[in-house]
Order: sequence, then structure tokens, then C-alpha cells
Amino acid sequence: MSLGISALIILLSPLVGALVLIFYKDKSEIKSSVIANISIFISFIFSLMLFIIFLFNSSTTYNYSNLVWFESNNLIFTFGLLVDSLSVIMSFIVTFISMFVHIYSIGYMKNDKSFNRFLIYTNFFTFSMLVIIFSNNFLQLFIGWELVGLSSYLLIGFWYKKPTAIYANMKAFLVNRVGDIGLLLGVILIFINISSLDYMRFFDSLPDLSNTSISLGSLSFDLLPIVALLLFTGAAAKSAQIPLHFWLPDSMEGPTPISALIHAATMVTAGIFMVARLSPLYDLSGYVLDIVLFIGVLTAFLMGLVALVQTDIKRIIAYSTISQLGYMTVALGASYYSFAIFHLLTHAFFKALLFLCAGSIILKCHHEQSIEKMGGLREVMPYTYYTYLVGALSLVGFPMFSGFFSKDLIIDLFKFHGDYLTYTILISGIFVTTIYTFKIFFKVFFGPNKLKIKKTDQIEHSDVIIIPLLGLAVPSIVIGFALFDSALFNDFFKSSITDSGRLETIYNDFVRSSLSFTLHSFLTFNFLALVSGLILSYILYYKNYQIPKNVTQKLESIIIYVKREYGFTHLSDVFFPRIFNNLSNMLWKKTDVAFLDNFIVNGIANRIRIFSSSLRLIQTGYIYHYAFTMIIGLLILLLFFYNF
Amino acid sequence: MNQISFPLISFLIWLPILGGVILLFVREDYTQLIKLISYSFSILVLLLSLYLLVIFDTSSSDLQFQEKHTWISSLNIYYHLAVDGFSVVFILLTTVISLLIVLFSFTEERSQNNKFISLFLILEGLILGVFSAFDSILFYIFFEAMLIPLFLIIGIWGGSNRVYATIKFFIYTLVGSVLMLVSLIYLSIESKSFFIHDFYSLKLDLETQIYLFLAFLFAFGIKIPMWPVHTWLPDAHVQAPSSGSVILAAVLLKVGGYGMIRFLLPITPEAGIFLNTVIVPLSLIAIVYISFVALAQTDMKKLIAYSSVAHMGFVTLGIFLTFNILVPANNTNTEMILIGLQGSIMQMISHGLISAGLFMCIGIIYSRTHSRSIETQSGVGQVMPIFSALMMFFLLSNSGLPGTSGFVGEFMVLISSIEVNGLYAVLASTSLVLAAAYSLWLGKRVLFGEVSTDTIKGMSNLRYDEFWCLFILMLLVILFGIQPNLILDISHASSNNMISIILNRI
Repeated sequence: MSLGISALIILLSPLVGALVLIFYKDKSEIKSSVIANISIFISFIFSLMLFIIFLFNSSTTYNYSNLVWFESNNLIFTFGLLVDSLSVIMSFIVTFISMFVHIYSIGYMKNDKSFNRFLIYTNFFTFSMLVIIFSNNFLQLFIGWELVGLSSYLLIGFWYKKPTAIYANMKAFLVNRVGDIGLLLGVILIFINISSLDYMRFFDSLPDLSNTSISLGSLSFDLLPIVALLLFTGAAAKSAQIPLHFWLPDSMEGPTPISALIHAATMVTAGIFMVARLSPLYDLSGYVLDIVLFIGVLTAFLMGLVALVQTDIKRIIAYSTISQLGYMTVALGASYYSFAIFHLLTHAFFKALLFLCAGSIILKCHHEQSIEKMGGLREVMPYTYYTYLVGALSLVGFPMFSGFFSKDLIIDLFKFHGDYLTYTILISGIFVTTIYTFKIFFKVFFGPNKLKIKKTDQIEHSDVIIIPLLGLAVPSIVIGFALFDSALFNDFFKSSITDSGRLETIYNDFVRSSLSFTLHSFLTFNFLALVSGLILSYILYYKNYQIPKNVTQKLESIIIYVKREYGFTHLSDVFFPRIFNNLSNMLWKKTDVAFLDNFIVNGIANRIRIFSSSLRLIQTGYIYHYAFTMIIGLLILLLFFYNF
Repeated sequence: MNQISFPLISFLIWLPILGGVILLFVREDYTQLIKLISYSFSILVLLLSLYLLVIFDTSSSDLQFQEKHTWISSLNIYYHLAVDGFSVVFILLTTVISLLIVLFSFTEERSQNNKFISLFLILEGLILGVFSAFDSILFYIFFEAMLIPLFLIIGIWGGSNRVYATIKFFIYTLVGSVLMLVSLIYLSIESKSFFIHDFYSLKLDLETQIYLFLAFLFAFGIKIPMWPVHTWLPDAHVQAPSSGSVILAAVLLKVGGYGMIRFLLPITPEAGIFLNTVIVPLSLIAIVYISFVALAQTDMKKLIAYSSVAHMGFVTLGIFLTFNILVPANNTNTEMILIGLQGSIMQMISHGLISAGLFMCIGIIYSRTHSRSIETQSGVGQVMPIFSALMMFFLLSNSGLPGTSGFVGEFMVLISSIEVNGLYAVLASTSLVLAAAYSLWLGKRVLFGEVSTDTIKGMSNLRYDEFWCLFILMLLVILFGIQPNLILDISHASSNNMISIILNRI
């Protein structure tokens, strides 16, 4: 019972915070930030408590439904809480990042006119995310799913005067809605087959459902793969997987703390979380896993390449996020869901850290975001320099850093299973990742100080910016190592994710222990790719060796092609809007106004008017006309009678 | 049967009409007196309807609080009023919206405000009559009489092209209802009674059913309105004053849906199944095609008017799918279909609240800038932040955001459509994207961005009475989004009963 109450407190505390912020009269910055931070802090403390409890006893699960949404005869829709190792670790991640981002925002959003509104949104976001995490049924999942989409929409468009921002947030919302169609249809398909939306009921009836098929027109499909595919559409949109990824880079129009919280660490991982949560379904969904794997590999590699050619610091990290989400999707596709969650965990910390570093840099550079114009900041902002280095090493997967344990595990899976094609692509992914990560590092912190930013006596910014950087740097170093043996391979997920058997095999046959995994890694291709990427980055961006002209020219056209995301940018920004625009205008002006309204409706009215105005001519009003008609009529009648 | 000592429903109907008539005799410059009378009557009616809800027995599908008096004995016509679950839901919607409209009508400057509000009170009474009449002739009279106050409201206080719009609106809806009158007379000759429930037990052959079905479909399809007989609605909305648009969208359209449930479902189910592959696509066209049309609009009111048609597509979809329980070959789960039928009702209530909010918002902008253009106005959010937050809320609920009532009905109708045919569901679910597209596009253009004109810069703050109108609607939209049971429980027994009536017809 206490588990349920703790989860309820975790869930509701941010909501209460948001409501207090809305209705509390005093909207001063200090009071607002105190309210927001306290409400998140309460959530965090309880999450931490639950997390520790589950570390020692991860087999507990707590499933509780009470609040009825609506009922119809014997069909009931409820809201409820599911507390197990998966939801606990997710809530730990979300509240941890949210807490530091809230602290950071005090500094970053200082003097913004709408400071209070910002905190309302972030609190509301944290609440919505927790709704997804603690959900024990599909309905609540969908509701939370849309609410995080709403928060993201509101926060990307936070500066609503900026045309680019209000374009980007609409794009984000609409693309996510496309995914939501799939999610909603999948959820409803489940409902009409098992008359319930409860996860546990669904998992229990999976054996029966695996023989069920559905028909669409004359075609017939197996039910489970279709459901899995539909749900994955939703996940792909939320987690920015090709081909529904293109909203995420634009979402960088929002304030940087939001990019860290929503568009790197938490919301975008909701798709990964959902698939892991539904691991019993995906285990039975056959070919869908191959599709998931394919999309993951494609995203991981191609979006990494796009990051390589960007110059905006936030956009580089955004593409990097998409690429890392691709790695998680790869793990899902290989049906090692726990690995995906593990990478989600480490990624949340180091990616949030990188974004907050970027925010700190952007603040220092007076909102300049192009890395080409920056340089020499190492002296000026030492804290950011060192924490960025930590984040970068973690991202590229340098041995012993958090990202190493999670990412190399996913990549080595394919070596273990002998899928060398995927293995090669993923390793070249490491190479690309290293180049762009250190491109930022060298261009921003070394070289001439192009923006002429002076070192001030006061360290960098205020403490509220430094503390989150340090607070996130620590888990970026240690959490991978800390949880590798003790949680991931210690059956932490056994009660919530179905892949524990596979995990055991891979641990005994391949990994053995975190230490041996680390030591062994220095001799692998992974490390080779990393080091060569590092060297290339060093040569290109630190030493600034000029690439020969003829090579550059050849590269130019490829770079432009990659920059346009292989044509996706054109599709999303030009092609689809134009199609929609033309279609809707045609339907309105041609079909609706011209045909239905003018031709049919007013046309009938006109016919009637013409008909009656000609009929009116008979009624001339002259007596001799009438008399004449009467005589003729009389004559005809007489003629008629005569014949008869 | 639930009985009380005084004729509650008659009071509900005639009290607002009495108030309206009294208002006609008040001098128009006695603003305070006008306010006193109109508030007290509309609040009283709301309280009466709440009292009705409290004493209404939701577990029963019987007619409750019946009042039956002989009216024209030679023709066997009765003054027969009663309520069942369907009626109560719509009566509550009407009384709530009417009170808000009265409140809202005082925020705008206009000549002869007493007559304006008087017409709304009379209209309220007539609409309540439609929802509680169980003698078909009485129903028909209320149904027709309803047109007159709205005709006057648009015709007198409307925009520059009001004459065209009113005539179109009036003739259009009249044509439909004349066909209905013929059907009602036919049915009464067959059943030797004008009591609607007596029609339910008639044995009609398929051909007769089809004729009747088409006549009723025409009458209610124009009212609701369905594609392709919707073209009167955008014109009427654009020309109507804000309060007129509110009552038109929020309540009058629902008469169409109510009529379909009351007549089409139980009387002509076999025709419904026979024509199912024709009428269901009409609803889907309304959802998809009209959403596209809405996307192209440059006038705020037209956009919301088209969006209404699209949302009503879900209502008709949920109703028409109900016929599928009669096809045993489909192996349709009746429980899922019931959810769809209930979803139609939920969708009507929800759309009533959301469209009321949106038309009020547009009215608030219009009263300040005298323009409804989407193209030339932007940046309202900087001048009126609270108003913009509220309008954004209604736009988001309009796009079916979970947590608001806008989601519930669509979700429920999607359940029944996937049960019948996956393709229906796939098409209907595109509304998720399209409704979001036109709603957010409106918000983006008008509320966000830089302030485009001086008129917008000079917009005055949201007034208290305007704020409360929107705020109450917002609370209701959230309340029914989180607890849809509050609505669905009322109509649940009646919907169940309706399903069994249909099943018993064969």
C-alpha cells in the first residue's frame, strides 16, 4: 500500500505545484521557483526512495486501479497505478532530470517576462510524463502521451512572438498526432478484442490473441503484429524515428532547459519506454521486430551523419539525440528491451548534461548558437568545459563512462549474435558520433576567442547553473558502472520486462562482469572507431588542417544533401504543406462553394425562381386576358363533351 | 413511473418563454431591469433542470415525469411531455448554454437588447420543448417554431449579408422538416396514435422503411448538418451575432442528432442497415473532407462552422453504426456498439460546450477589432494573455485533446467503428491530425506572433463577465473529460433500451 501512496505523491506533487503556480497571487520569480522546485523535489525524494527499495527487492509489483473514467454495462475504463521496477527507474530518471532542469531554469530563464508560465508548463510536463510511466492501462498511457505532446507544444512555442518557434511547435504537435493515430487505433484494437485496456489483462490474454486475426476488406492479418506495428507508429513519432523524426530538430526553438528535459532526456524516450513496457507483446509480434530494428539502425546511422554537417550547437545535439534514440530502438528490435532502457537511463543523464552545457555556452555567447562563430571558451568557462568533456566522453562511449556500458552493450549484441552487417553500421555510428561530439568540443572551447568573451571574476554564471551541470556530470560518469552488475544483470527488470532469460545468456557467455567487459573493450572495433573518430576530429577541428580543395568540392554536394536530411526537410516543409494547402483550397472553393452551394443549392433556388417568374407571366392582371383564357378553356371543354 | 405533484417539464418549457414575453414589454433603456429579469428567469430554469437531474431516476429507461393532456381530441393529438435519459442530457446542455448566452449577451453593445435576449429565452423554451415532447405533432411544432426566433435573431442583428443567410437557413431546414411531417402523419395513421413510442412497435416493410428513413434523414441531416447538406451552416454562422452562433452551434445542431436517435434508430432500423454503406461514408466524408475545407478558411467563424460539421460527422457515425447490431453475420459485439452510441451523445454535449466557448472567443475578438479575418490579425496573445490561454484551451479541446471532453466522444465512436469496419476507423481517426491542424493553425495565426495592427494593440482587457462565461465552459469541458460518467450515466439506461428496441424489431 505504501508503494501506491508514494507513487501517487510522486505523480500528483508536480500537478499540485502547477496548480498553485497558476492560482497563487504572488508571481515573483523567487516565490514561483521555490514552489516549483519544492514540488519536484518531493517527487524526486519519493522516486529515489522507491528506486532504492526496488534495487533490493525488484520482484515487487504493485497494481492498483480505482478511479473510474466511465463504464458501460460490464466494460469499465479506469485509471490506475502500476509500480514495478520499470516504472520506478523511469520515474527516478524523470524526476532527477526535472529537478536539475528546474534549478537550472532559475538561472537560465531569469528576467523572462513569463517566468511563472514557464514553470507551470514544466511542472505540468513532469506530471504528464509520470502519468505515462505509472500507467497500468492503455487509456491512461494514451492520455499521458497526448499531454506530454501538449506540454512539448506549449514549451517549444514558449516564446510565442518568434515565428520560427510557433511554426516548430505546430509541426511537432502534428507529426506526433500522426503517430498518435497509430497508437490510438492499436489501443482500440486491443480493447475490442479483450474488452479491457488493462496491461495485465492484456498480457494474460496474449496466448489466446496470438491466434486471432483481423480482416480489413478482403485482407486478413494476424492481430498481434498489427497491434504491435500500430503502437510502434506512436512510439516512432514520439521518439523521433525515421520517417517521423523531423519535428525534433525544429523543436530546438524552445528554451534550452526544455530541450534538455523534454527533447533529450524524458519525453522523447516515452516511445522506447512503451515498447519495453509491452515487451510480452513485442516478443510475439514476429516481423514487426525486424521493422523496428531496421528503423533503429537507419535512424542511428543516418541522423548521426546529419549531426556531422550542422553548425548550430543545439541542432547538432538534437540530431545526436535522434541517433541515440535509434540505438535504443535497435535494442528493442533485437528484443533486448532492458538494454534499451539501460541506454535510456544513461543517455538521459549525459544528454541532459550536454544540453545544459550548450545552454550555458549560449548564455555566455549572448544567444549565439553557431559553433563556427565560437571559440576559446575553455579559459572563460571552466565548469562548462569539464562537464561538457564528461558528457562527451559518455556520449561517445569511452570505456568506464556511463554511455559506454549501455551503448557498447547494444552494439556488441550483434557481434554476439553474428549479425555483422548491423554491427558494422553501428560501429561506424560510433565513429560519426565521436567526430561531431568533439567537433563541438574543439570548436567551442579551443582556438581563438572569436566572440571576445572576457573572463569575469564571478565563475561563469550563477550557482543555479553550475550545480545542475555538476549534478548531472556525476551520474554521467558513474551510473552505468554502478547499475551494470547490480541492477541490469541482477534481474532488476525481471518482473517487468520479458528478456531476462536472454540477458542471462549474454551475461554468462559474453559479458561476464563489468570489469571484464571494460577491459575487453579496449581491444574491440568499437574502441578503434572511437579513437579514430577522436583523432580525425582533432585533426580537422583542433589543428584545423585544410582539406584539399578538390575533396571539399566533391563533399559540398553530399553535405548539402545530408543537411536536407536526405530530402525529408523538403517533404515536411514544402511538399506536404503545399499538398494540404492546394487540396483544402480546391475542396473548399471548387467542391463546396462552387459545386455544392452555388450549383446545387443556389442553383435549385434559381431554377425555382426562373420557373415561377415565367409562371407569373400568366397572371397578367388584365381582365381581357383572363376572359380570353376562359373562352378558350370553355371551348376545349365543350369539344371534349361533344366527342363524348 | 416517477411522478411529482407539479408539472415540472411544462414549467421548464413555459417559464423561459414567459420571461421572454415579459422582456418584450420592458423599455430597452432599463438595463438593470432587463438584466434582473433575464438572469432570474434563466437561472431559475437552470435550477429547475438541475432539480430534474437530481430526481431523475438514471437506472430506468422509462419515460419519467409524464404530463399527458388531450389537446386536439378529434385527431388524437396530446400535449404529451416527458423525459428519458436522452432528453435530460440535452435539457441540461440547453439550460446551461442559455444562461451563459444571456450572460454573454450583456457584454456586447447593441440596440434593443431586451428584444434580443427575449428571443433567446423564447428559443430556450422551444428547444426544451423539442427535447421533451413525446407527441410527434407537438414535437414537430416545437421543431418548426424553433426556427422563428433564430430567424429573427440573425435577420435583425446579423451581419451585412444577413437576409441571404436567413432565407437560406430557413428554407433549407424547412424543406427537410416538411418531409418529416409527412412521415409522422403516415406513422400516426399506421399506429393510430401520435405518441412516438407507439411508432416503435410498428411492423413496416423494408420499402416503407426506406422512404421514412430518407425523409427523417433529410430533416435531421440538414439540421445536424451532414455532408452534403451543410452549406447553410457557414453562411448562417458568419452572419449571425456571436450569441446566435453560440446557440446555433451548441444546441440547435444537437436537435438533429437527438431526432436521429429518437426516430431513425428505433423506427427504421432495417432501412438503416440496408443503406448503411451509403450513410456511413457520408459521415466519413464529413469528417475528412470538411476538415480539409476548414483548413482553407480565412474567416474564424467559418473555420469553426466547418469544424462543427466535421465533429457532427462523429455523431452521425456513432448513430449509423448502431444499425450494425442487426447484422448477425458480422458477429458484432453489441457492447462496443453501445459505446459508440453513447459516444455520439458525449460528442454532442462536448461539442456544445467547446463550440460555445470558441464562438464566444471569436465574438470577443470581433467586438474589439470588428474583424474575423485569420490572415490579417495576429498577436492577440500579447495584448490579452488570459483570453488567449482560454481560447487556446478551447482550440486544443476542439482537436480532441485527452483530458478534455473533446476526446471522449471521438474515442468512443472510434471503438464502435473499428468493431464494424477497420477502414471506417482509419478514416475517422485522421481527424486526430486534421482537427489539430486547423485548430492550431487558427491559434498560431491569430493568438501568437507579432501584433499585426493597431486595432489589436488597442484591444481592451477581458471583462469579468466575458471571463466567467469562458471559465465556466472550460471547467465543464475538463470535468467531463475527466469524469465522462457524469453525462454517460444519465443516458446509459436509455441507450441500452434503444439497443434492445432495435434488436427486438426483427
